[in-house]
Amino acid sequence: MSELIKVTINEQDFEVEKGARLIDVCREKGFNIPSFCYYSDLALQASCRMCLVRIEKMPKLQTSCTITCTDGMIVTTQSEEIEKAQRAMSEFLLANHPLDCPVCDRGGECELQEMIFDWGDVEERFTEKKNVEPEKFLSPIVANDPQRCIVCKRCTRVCDEWMGEDAIEAGNRGVNTVIGTYGGWLNCSQCGNCIEVCPTGTLLDGVYRHETRPWELDQTITTDVYGSDGMQLSIGSRGGLVHRIVARDRYVNGLNGEFLDVKARFAHEFVNHPDRIKTPLIRYKKGGKLIPATWDEAIHFVGQKLTESGKNVGVVASPRLTNEAIFTLKRFAKEVVGTDNYAVSDRYDLSVFFDNLSAPLATHKEIRKAKTLVLIGGEPEEEQTFTAKQMRQAVRNDGAKLIIVNHTPIRLSAQASQFIHINPNSYDAFVLALTDSANDDANAKKLGIETKDLADFRQTLSETEGDTVVMFGGDLSPQAQSVLANSADAFDGTNAKVLFHPLPLYNNSVGANDLMEGKKSLSEVLKNSKALLIGGSLQEADTNLLANKDFIVVQELFETETTKYADVVLPAASFAEVDGTFTNNTGFVQRVRQAIEPVNQSKADWMITTLIAREMGADFGYNFSATMVFKAIADSVSAYEGLRYPALKDESKPVQVKHAISAKKDLSKEFDVLKSNVEKLSDEANKLTATPRVGHKLHRLTTLTSKTAQFHLLAHGNPKPENLLVSPLVQFNLDGTPRTETADAAAVGVTDRINLKVEY
Amino acid sequence: MEIKAIGCEPLQLKRMHIKDGHTLKVYQETGGYESLKKAMNMSQDDIINEVKASALRGRGGAGFPTGMKWSFVPRQSPKPKYVVCNADESEPGTFKDRYLLERDPHALIEGMLIAAFALGAAACYVYFRGEYRYLIDIMDKAIDEARAADIVGKNILGSDFSCEFFTHTGAGAYICGEETALLSSLEGYRGHPRMKPPFPAIEGLYACPTVVNNVETLTAVPQIIEMGGKAWQELGTEKSGGTKLWSVSGHVKKPGVYELPMGYKDLEKFIMEDCGGMLRDDKKLKAVIPGGSSVYIMNAEQIVGKGVTMDYEGLVVGGSMVGSGGFIVMDETVDVMESTKNLTEFYKHESCGWCTPCREGTDWLVKIFNRISEGGGRPEDAQLLLDICDNIEGKSFCPLGDAAAWPIQSAVKRFPEDFKKWLLNKTNGNGVVANI
Amino acid sequence: MASALATDFTNKIVYTDEVAEFSPEVVEEMKSHLVKYPPERKRSALIPLLFVVQRERGWIDNAGVNFLAKFLELEVTDVWETATFYSMFNLRKIGRHHIQICKTLSCKIMGEPEITEHICNKLNIHPGETTADGKFTVTLVECLGSCGTAPMMQIGFDYHEDLTTEKVDQILDSLK
Repeated sequence: MSELIKVTINEQDFEVEKGARLIDVCREKGFNIPSFCYYSDLALQASCRMCLVRIEKMPKLQTSCTITCTDGMIVTTQSEEIEKAQRAMSEFLLANHPLDCPVCDRGGECELQEMIFDWGDVEERFTEKKNVEPEKFLSPIVANDPQRCIVCKRCTRVCDEWMGEDAIEAGNRGVNTVIGTYGGWLNCSQCGNCIEVCPTGTLLDGVYRHETRPWELDQTITTDVYGSDGMQLSIGSRGGLVHRIVARDRYVNGLNGEFLDVKARFAHEFVNHPDRIKTPLIRYKKGGKLIPATWDEAIHFVGQKLTESGKNVGVVASPRLTNEAIFTLKRFAKEVVGTDNYAVSDRYDLSVFFDNLSAPLATHKEIRKAKTLVLIGGEPEEEQTFTAKQMRQAVRNDGAKLIIVNHTPIRLSAQASQFIHINPNSYDAFVLALTDSANDDANAKKLGIETKDLADFRQTLSETEGDTVVMFGGDLSPQAQSVLANSADAFDGTNAKVLFHPLPLYNNSVGANDLMEGKKSLSEVLKNSKALLIGGSLQEADTNLLANKDFIVVQELFETETTKYADVVLPAASFAEVDGTFTNNTGFVQRVRQAIEPVNQSKADWMITTLIAREMGADFGYNFSATMVFKAIADSVSAYEGLRYPALKDESKPVQVKHAISAKKDLSKEFDVLKSNVEKLSDEANKLTATPRVGHKLHRLTTLTSKTAQFHLLAHGNPKPENLLVSPLVQFNLDGTPRTETADAAAVGVTDRINLKVEY
Repeated sequence: MEIKAIGCEPLQLKRMHIKDGHTLKVYQETGGYESLKKAMNMSQDDIINEVKASALRGRGGAGFPTGMKWSFVPRQSPKPKYVVCNADESEPGTFKDRYLLERDPHALIEGMLIAAFALGAAACYVYFRGEYRYLIDIMDKAIDEARAADIVGKNILGSDFSCEFFTHTGAGAYICGEETALLSSLEGYRGHPRMKPPFPAIEGLYACPTVVNNVETLTAVPQIIEMGGKAWQELGTEKSGGTKLWSVSGHVKKPGVYELPMGYKDLEKFIMEDCGGMLRDDKKLKAVIPGGSSVYIMNAEQIVGKGVTMDYEGLVVGGSMVGSGGFIVMDETVDVMESTKNLTEFYKHESCGWCTPCREGTDWLVKIFNRISEGGGRPEDAQLLLDICDNIEGKSFCPLGDAAAWPIQSAVKRFPEDFKKWLLNKTNGNGVVANI
Repeated sequence: MASALATDFTNKIVYTDEVAEFSPEVVEEMKSHLVKYPPERKRSALIPLLFVVQRERGWIDNAGVNFLAKFLELEVTDVWETATFYSMFNLRKIGRHHIQICKTLSCKIMGEPEITEHICNKLNIHPGETTADGKFTVTLVECLGSCGTAPMMQIGFDYHEDLTTEKVDQILDSLK
């Protein structure tokens, strides 16, 4: 607890922490102060001049966002003088701002609009001609109307500070200042955070553009279905359609603040996509077609066939499913089939990590506040985007030390205080070096680094005053992971608390690992089973193991490589259509909430499995209620003990499940494997020196992302199309003539967005 | 054009009329680099104390006491320290630094080296406005000469004091004359001013302790060291020490750069006699902007017979400010509405766009002036102009907002006739021009 | 011919990844700017180097921006944000001789309007435009620090002061 000091605000005395920011203090104490450019945890800007206050003994009005409280400070936040200044600033901001709120997508949730209502003047004195700039697209999913810009530069700051991409910047000078890029085209990961933080309609969601008014949308707070960070977001839906996804703090207040990545924010068109499977489908004859059937027919058929296969039925769950669905699949295997043949179709098996875990999991807040971050392998910027943002801010804003061990110079390595650039495939050697400092010379040789690098690494760890967070993922061998996860002591500094952070690939990888206790490897299950119940498609590479099975049932949203082998396909509901939970990479169990009715005839995965079980004579006692499924989880899985949905109600206070911490284990077997692996490594290796392109993993087309048209453009390196829409509406100049300017000298021609096609 | 000292020996202008005064040889023949040698035998504190005693105030426009600025630099800091010269002379009506740089570049090198020695700085940068390319070439040559003579670089004059010396160019931005914007620009960024605190003395160039001084400020330093701070101060007044350069332009017979002792009496004599009086004998004096465009405009009544003293305090009493010392003299042919419009266009063009009031306010003001000058003036415009200026003044991020507001405020108040003409003609004389 | 050139000054810029090439002497000159700044502060050299690119290529073109981004290890957008802030950088093609007439107060009251009118009539263009043969571009600029010798103009980097219409004629006629 830091020192408390006395501040007087509007003649009331308060005790506040020394060094607290005045604007935060005032707001906390209930004195409303308007601001645009101030954004917590971003670099101070002090440019909008809305947050002016009077502080005694200071000559001018002061911006409260730049003032830290000092003892005895006497502050006035409301007076005639301040109100005049606030009216003046809002008047200035409106001077060149077009009053086109009725056609602006931001209308209704626009901070400028609200601020003008609250603090502005009724009378408009600006009678001159406004400066005009044509609308344009900065990328397939970022629409830009420069004349609405109030130059708060939140967008340039999040791009730089959150994403480290520096893709969007301010250009020109004075009143001509615009936000943009060289060439007018955004080449970045397209996270869309610039859109989210924009207080006006300057940067807009190009996918949602002109679809509905925001107040007509129902907001449903739920969890991201792509990344393992468990980002909280709000689905905007109307009439059974998902229109957009945002993380605006007016709707949702999750661990990620307003941060989302490109997939979480934009790749939601799959929910209402016409390709969704509409009814249950049955392939009556091998090699025949999938033919639509009723649910009764399909369930009956499945029950009959699975009963025939007896104990030879295997069960596979996708790490994309909810905890409820995965748990029900496991119960199906255990209780209905009576088999241990169940698996998770994850690309990365987390069990080695959790079985040997020797320190608690770090939360994202703890990553942000950590003093040393160790990243071994992995590329969080592409796969665990919010983790990457927390790491970057820990380094940038609080001077945390970041040590990166990787075989490629990933972009984050530019911010590392130490980047240990090892040879490809030599992570095993690094793990050995970590636990055994006696052989540094030999290990360094295998790693292709200097012996000193290892010494420096150890020194940084030993000097750490604060938390150390160690992160690694599936690109390490299982043995290396076991050893690392069990070696919290190797990272121990003088006053350090060691925390681990896994780097799983899917939204519910951790939940799947928790709930599928005793699972086998996917290939084992696929090989050992004659019939299969598959919840969610497998990786394409694994599907060849599905050939020549007696009977395969797949619960899916779309027809995929996996459904080609299916005898029955049952239409499953997407995350937007179900209630449930996901467990993220910090162990938070967070709610998934139903935003729209299930599309077509689809049903929640857990419900489909339950129906099959009932057909086969087993009653899970769920009463068709997700609440009851979760209660069953809490009753049988120790880490989730005692949890209920109401306890998970508030997304701003997520609940962490208790993962067991294991004692130091005898891992000599693993060490033997590591040693023999390392011996096989050649001393002469070619290092990979190219930094991978931004978005090279994020923009990968998957079954789900490919359903968003704009993603195809991103996946192909985001080329700038020749003909890019300026606006689907004909626009008019102030004098009534149709507007003919084009968005950019290079983007000539007004075409409809639907015609936007890029061929490859 | 005149370049001369009046009422004192030429100090700053000492080498203005000496042939090849810009070369090292002539510079040394006329006493150059003796002050540096002297300073290098003094303690760092003594040098700063001499500068404090001289009552030298920043000649760039703000008039901040130089010695005090230097004393803010944490000399024990392990970071490298920098001395930066602000040669981004862009204030309308100001051109004194240009001649110092053109004809006496070594004086600046010497002044900066003394500052660098006093502050323990590792490098000096001279930030020129981009348009002064020919001066950069002159300075680069002077630096090369000095380097060859072991005056800059490693082991200066055989001592263990080393200091690098570089020129840097701006590229057309008035705002870069603001010291923190200058530093942003020197780092290769957009020339936006930075938040203060931290002041440059603590976190300036590359987040290291930095002193930024105007050319004229730094060229005064060798004189101060040479004659002693007290003696130099006594050339001027108690609070404004030494001599000061004034740039004079506009409707006078002899425009030019004049060196006057601080406290020179008086403003009227200076214009009407020293500068040769009005350009056209039949035209009367109408207005004077005494400190570069960013100060209050004065009308003839504030000057004639008022005995305005030419120093920091005197000009404030007289109704304006010293600023950068750029006199723009206007005779009765000038319409002050139009001259104010001209200056407002300047501020709009040069506003960096960082903060709301300056960015939007200057644009709005120009639009109003344009409308007025196209015959669309309205009686309420005077009040509107004043109110917009009031909304900019004191609320902008840096002083550029104030600089844009002051000329308009003073013009509307001190030249009501010029505005009435424009604002009332269109309204059949019914309107009232407020506050004037 | 004239019309083809005129189109060049107004038409779209096609953005490519092309990187400009400079002679070894020019690259050396660029390096001589780099050494002025701490090695980790390469960006400091951006403005001086933009001038070199502008001198060599006539304007700050796409290939030049790409070159600088590579040379200083920046993003092209970083180069763009700095270059567009400063009024001396031309991000559009301009004429061979850039006539910059000072229009701020001292020059204004000392006869700038006549000089501007004379030059524009002589070249048959408006301020801000380029002659059809690509020889001259005329712009009005803010104070150039030559108020004592007003009116004045700067052509390229050369100051021309105490202007009269006769003097302007002489100067313009002497330019190739």
